[in-house]
Amino acid sequence: MLRGTGTIFWREVGQYFASPVAYLIAFALLLLTGLLFNSDLTFSLTQKPADPALIPSFLALAMVFFAPLLTMRMLAEESREGTLELLLTAPVSDTAVVIGKFLSAWFYYTILLLLTFTYQFILLAITQPDLGLAVSAYIGIWLYGGATLAVGLLFSSLTENQIVAAFLSMSVLLLLWLGDIAGEIVANLDLARVLRQLSLGGHFSTSFAVGLLRAEDVAYYAGIMVVMLFITTRIVESHRWR
Amino acid sequence: MSREAVIIRRNQLGQWAGFIGGGAALLGIIGLLWQGGLTPIIIGLLVAGAAGLGLWALLSPQEFVGFVTGRQARYGTVAVFGTLLLIGIVALTYIVLQRAVLTLDMTEGQRFTLSSESLGILRQVTQPIRITGFYSPRALQLREVDDQFFRLYEVATDGRITREYIDPDVNAAQRNAFGVTEDGSVFISYLNPDGTPNLNTLMRVPIERGPEPSNQERDLTGAIARLLAAGTLTVYFDTSNGALSPFDTSQQGLSAINDGMRANGVITSVLNVADLAQSGSSIPANAAAIILARPTQDYTEAEVQLLGSYVKGGGALLILADPLFNEDAFLRQDGALNRFLWDTFGIRARDAVAVENDPGASAQSPLDIISAAVFTDTDIGARLNSDETPTLFTVARALEVNDSPPPDVANGRVILTSQNSYGETNFRALAETNTYQFDAGQDIPGPLTTVAWANIQQTNGRVVLIGDSDFVTNGMVGTGGNGILFTDSIAWLTRFGERINFKPQAFTTGLPMVFVSTQTLDLIAFITVILMPGLVLLTGLAVWLRRQRLQA
Amino acid sequence: MIEVHKLTKRYGYHLAVDQISFEAHPGEVVGLLGPNGAGKTTTMRMLTGFMPPSEGSARIAGFDVLADSLEVRRRVGYLPERVPVYPDMTVKGYVTFWAKLRGVEKPRARVDAVLERVHLTDRRNTLVRNLSKGLRQRLGLAQALVHDPPIVILDEPTIGIDPQQVIEVREAVRDLGKHHTVLFSTHILSEAEQVCDRVVIINRGKIIAQGTPDTLRTQLQHGLSLYVEIAGAGKEAGAKLLKALTGVESVTAQGNGFVVRARTDVRGEVADRVTRAGYRLLELRPVAMTLEDIFLDLVGRGK
Repeated sequence: MLRGTGTIFWREVGQYFASPVAYLIAFALLLLTGLLFNSDLTFSLTQKPADPALIPSFLALAMVFFAPLLTMRMLAEESREGTLELLLTAPVSDTAVVIGKFLSAWFYYTILLLLTFTYQFILLAITQPDLGLAVSAYIGIWLYGGATLAVGLLFSSLTENQIVAAFLSMSVLLLLWLGDIAGEIVANLDLARVLRQLSLGGHFSTSFAVGLLRAEDVAYYAGIMVVMLFITTRIVESHRWR
Repeated sequence: MSREAVIIRRNQLGQWAGFIGGGAALLGIIGLLWQGGLTPIIIGLLVAGAAGLGLWALLSPQEFVGFVTGRQARYGTVAVFGTLLLIGIVALTYIVLQRAVLTLDMTEGQRFTLSSESLGILRQVTQPIRITGFYSPRALQLREVDDQFFRLYEVATDGRITREYIDPDVNAAQRNAFGVTEDGSVFISYLNPDGTPNLNTLMRVPIERGPEPSNQERDLTGAIARLLAAGTLTVYFDTSNGALSPFDTSQQGLSAINDGMRANGVITSVLNVADLAQSGSSIPANAAAIILARPTQDYTEAEVQLLGSYVKGGGALLILADPLFNEDAFLRQDGALNRFLWDTFGIRARDAVAVENDPGASAQSPLDIISAAVFTDTDIGARLNSDETPTLFTVARALEVNDSPPPDVANGRVILTSQNSYGETNFRALAETNTYQFDAGQDIPGPLTTVAWANIQQTNGRVVLIGDSDFVTNGMVGTGGNGILFTDSIAWLTRFGERINFKPQAFTTGLPMVFVSTQTLDLIAFITVILMPGLVLLTGLAVWLRRQRLQA
Repeated sequence: MIEVHKLTKRYGYHLAVDQISFEAHPGEVVGLLGPNGAGKTTTMRMLTGFMPPSEGSARIAGFDVLADSLEVRRRVGYLPERVPVYPDMTVKGYVTFWAKLRGVEKPRARVDAVLERVHLTDRRNTLVRNLSKGLRQRLGLAQALVHDPPIVILDEPTIGIDPQQVIEVREAVRDLGKHHTVLFSTHILSEAEQVCDRVVIINRGKIIAQGTPDTLRTQLQHGLSLYVEIAGAGKEAGAKLLKALTGVESVTAQGNGFVVRARTDVRGEVADRVTRAGYRLLELRPVAMTLEDIFLDLVGRGK
């Protein structure tokens, strides 16, 4: 591990748990998933088997809006408060700063995901859900979430204004999410396919969410994370020379 | 002067090479992403890119070094190029992995793995088969999921099965040629020598698009089996004399066995023996077997003659009888058909209802007959195990087998009732008061035959006579060995045993429906909508209050 | 120690710092004196490893700021001009964070010690957002000292805090100078005089003078400004009268009187001349030289 990553990681994690905003986000997310879970349960009564991928699939859309809220603060605030200058003159690499922050956001998101395991336990208690599918969908949405958080972090590094950062990353994430249904908008099949291949949802809805783990999807999300963090690091670094 | 001119040109050449090289490399990477593979053009672009950048480095080294290592204004460019390089590496990794098709099927039912039934059928694929899917851009997700399955078929057959996708919005000619009615239609066909789908062999893959997950494997494997067996095997249901209908989807209907045969490559059709006899026509030549599924009225002499000449000439009959309490009931003991069977094959139905007094060989009532003994040395009985997959008949009719059959005829029994059973001949008491009692001398002592077979060795005409018809109805065909009995009877009769692999349960998913009480639902709603979010909110509030106290 | 050799920073075509060279030794407080935009902050940022120099070199404790940036950063304590804080952390948490980030071995003990030193021990559990500006300044200092760096760089630490706190900070900086190499920037001449062992004056990216405060003062004593208020004479007559004196360089009207700049001490001549002309001298006092005056002076002399 890069020196300093751990220190920054734990500071950010502490920040999440000390901030009412993070609890509000968790509250909103749990309320929404809870409502969805119950309505689907009522709907499936004696109609169809329970779908363990329901909540992960909803989170794919939810993260378009929640990921920016979780990351908007991270670098924009450092930049505005001037603490970035101290961070960049501390004996840690810029990469360590960015990775530490990213990992903390991903960690917090992981905890949110763990909370939604409740729904799977309830399903287990009342019926026989496809556990393999559940595992697959959760692995997928975990990686998906990581990718959205990396995008959010990138936009947080671009501006000093948190609201602007959140707005920009929401727009971009929405576009990336819409790519999954590119066919509804774009009439050209080949173009729609390419857009779908580039989109976040396109690597989740038809593979992880139906119980299929594909190496290419894992590579896509890992790639998005690596590229976004690389660009973020370059932008943080640019404070040194711009 | 000339020397200077050369230097300038050399430098400019280097700059131009660098410029063109950078552009080519960029286009190459974009192309790579677009095409998802290395086409000659993309390889050319990438090579040109590398060559151009190399030439630049060679021709104007200072500028190149300055560009790559420059300390100040170059940072931005270096960062951009570093990012592009990284994107290139990531894209390449992605494409390589995509080509490698590394997948892991996580579902419990192994939905994304071909079953042994499918693989068995795919082993018979020798000629190229094309899967043609019609998906508009709107059905892209559907296509992506279906493609996961189609890909498996391509791999399993070493590419003898190929996939092609057509956008029905764009390619109206193909859409009309295939008769596409809805988005997401899938067809299979053999290929013409020129590589186009042979529309004469076209078959629609009946993928159900409902709220439940589609069962692409069942549908596609069924279609392939049908394509393989297409034109070679037709089984007819006789619809005359009030027989059970193969199109009836109710509990008493036969749609399950009809669909099951179709899904497994048997062409099914209907004929009406009564009409044929009346018009003086003969049985269709392609009839591999005819199923007489418990008509209510018995066949006339003319009809029996028609069937008789068919079966004597090498045809096959599956006769499903049942005790019937009406006048002129099907296969009454002294009727034309029963006489024909006895005279020709040495088997016939008795006017007796099997009553099983052995509690181990009956279900809810003594009239529910579970197979007590099976002749597993017969083709029909080979897969029937009276312990693990017993057959269940409700109100079965006793049969009789002549152990010294006519010359050139072989016959035998398949399923027997127990020693404690008997054949009740008093239909009247049974029908009107539902009472039965063994009357020695009048009733037939057990064990009784309930399934019998016979064939004419010279012409290979075959008959299977079964004293029950309920066991193949939609309501009961899935019970115990009932499906196997039907399947293997058809397999033996049509002599395509290894081609047909009818297992109604093979592709059904084992996941149960959700069923909970409303009280449980209320509890779940309370936990998930009120308790959990509330706890999180309270924790947040507590943290906030604690920090408020840090103000001091 | 700090060794700066021909350090240059270019923003595009703009020269922010132009070939400056100076040194600072252990146990010395060196002041960077100059008006806003002179290049003080840019210089400090290059020394702390925040931004790389365009040309020239700088060594901190023997390490090059560019080649051994991480080693340099380990040995520098830095307090930027605007004290950077995380408002939602406690005082203790904030300092501990920087201690850990800079690899302090026993962070807890060090944090306690440094909080004691800047008198924030009783505020250790307060949220940073609730600290006053002066306390934040002390917190910034704690952050810069928590890893006990040999070199401390403070960018205008006295700006925007009340006079009592200014005095405290100045004392603290003097105190630091006993054990650390301190580089400290200000735009207040008197502050530089009070606090620094040596002063480096920069303007528009260039060093225009450096030396001990005493040396510089004598260098600057060459010039003098006087405020003169005369009763009886009109604006123009008064100005004309004063301009005629030998040694006077300029006369500008200010309020009811004039500011007279002269090369030598002309107070006697002014008094003499005004009374002789029949006017009454209402006020005659030396005007404390502002930094702008000094620069005008120094730059003018450089021509």
